[in-house]
Amino acid sequence: MKKRVVLAGCSLLALLTMSGLSGCSSVQPWEKQNLAKPAMTFDRDRLDTGYTEHMYSSKEAASGGSGVGGGGCGCN
Amino acid sequence: MQSTQGKKSNRKARVLGSILASAAMLLPSAKNALADAAPEEGVVSLKYLNYHDRQTGDTSFTAGMSKDRTTVNALSLMTVVPIAGKWSIATTFIEDSVTGASPAYHGWGFPPDSKKDTTSGASGDLRYVGDLAVTRYFSRGTLTAGASYSQESDYISRGISLNGTLSTESRNTTFSLGTAYSSDTVFLNKSNVVDSKRSDTPGRKRVVSGLFGVTQVLSQNDIMQLTATYTHGNGYYSDPYKDPDARPGKRRMFTLMTRLNHHFDGPDGTARLAYRYYTDTFGIEAHTFTAEYGQPLPHGWEITPMVRYYSQSAASFYVPTGDDPRKPTPTDGMEYYSEDQRLSAFGAFSYGVKVAKELGRSWSADVKYEHSEQRYNWGINGPGDPGIPTFDFRSIQVGLSRKF
Repeated sequence: MKKRVVLAGCSLLALLTMSGLSGCSSVQPWEKQNLAKPAMTFDRDRLDTGYTEHMYSSKEAASGGSGVGGGGCGCN
Repeated sequence: MQSTQGKKSNRKARVLGSILASAAMLLPSAKNALADAAPEEGVVSLKYLNYHDRQTGDTSFTAGMSKDRTTVNALSLMTVVPIAGKWSIATTFIEDSVTGASPAYHGWGFPPDSKKDTTSGASGDLRYVGDLAVTRYFSRGTLTAGASYSQESDYISRGISLNGTLSTESRNTTFSLGTAYSSDTVFLNKSNVVDSKRSDTPGRKRVVSGLFGVTQVLSQNDIMQLTATYTHGNGYYSDPYKDPDARPGKRRMFTLMTRLNHHFDGPDGTARLAYRYYTDTFGIEAHTFTAEYGQPLPHGWEITPMVRYYSQSAASFYVPTGDDPRKPTPTDGMEYYSEDQRLSAFGAFSYGVKVAKELGRSWSADVKYEHSEQRYNWGINGPGDPGIPTFDFRSIQVGLSRKF
């Protein structure tokens, strides 16, 4: 239990730290041509991601992490 | 003839079918920091999956043997339709067919004196999955409502979700917040449910999830995302087709995932790195590392090799193999127990490659191959169970997509 509290605290701290970086980043809109490329997104091929995440989650104990939604499947 | 028990020990195997299922699943809006704008073009995508797994023996009892376990063929269709520049509707439909069976325990079903047994694959199950996500785009954020439904002969899942994003004025930081609820029903009155679990009363499971994420532009070539997810589930977590198997009725899961994408100016390629930490109240702790690199090539080609490493500890109620992994281990007097290999400690290495081709302005096609292998002694989360046979799978995806 203590470990989980510490973990949750560390996660929150990491998230807050990361959100604090917003003040440090100075990338301007006209400098984002590379960031705007499809290859730089986190969900470029949704069907591929769906297949792959489900293959692993049905054969391993861990699952999820990148989002919520979609309902259950009994895989784990 | 495969025994009834084994045939259906496959809840999981079959469920793998849900692979497909989730493909459709509502895409969490935490995934793209630059996704505030509504899509300008609609998309129709079709993707086929062929999956196959097997176990290979490497103990004194199973050395030299291999056993094909499950095969999945799936087809998914996704459409994304932009509406009036402020809305989009995404739908996905998946149909998958699963044959074969995952082991009811440890190395169940291994042939005692043959190198290859192909008699275990004949159960066929169809699963249908549909989902819908409606997104409203605002000047600095999005709001997505989703619903999903999946059904097979003995299992129904219904889910709803709500995800939102909010970007700072500079759009260098995006916060994500999401929640989801699902209600699953597993019918226990089927003839192949193990005797100790057969009931006219269905098993039910309700799961609530919450997500908080931050996506941060670090430089002109780097973007990072950190996402924390908490899931609270109550209900029927046992596998009706596995025996011995009795799992706790509550499972709380926590994941922390971080992802970093880096663009290389010289080759115009992109490296995508990810790490996920996972822990749950089953006593499982897991680490997942993923790396891939996408390299555009002349004439619209792109090649993307990938590697993945995964390690997990065993569930607190996992019962290791005894002297012979082909026989179940006695569980007398235990409240919770399972001999499901997926709850044992192990490590897994994966590799794969994807090749994509732009076909003019509107069409694109891709092919992906992936292989993964699990071994009890590849993990970093404590000692594995030496009696567990090596498990591996390979998958092939073929996709076709059109913008309109």
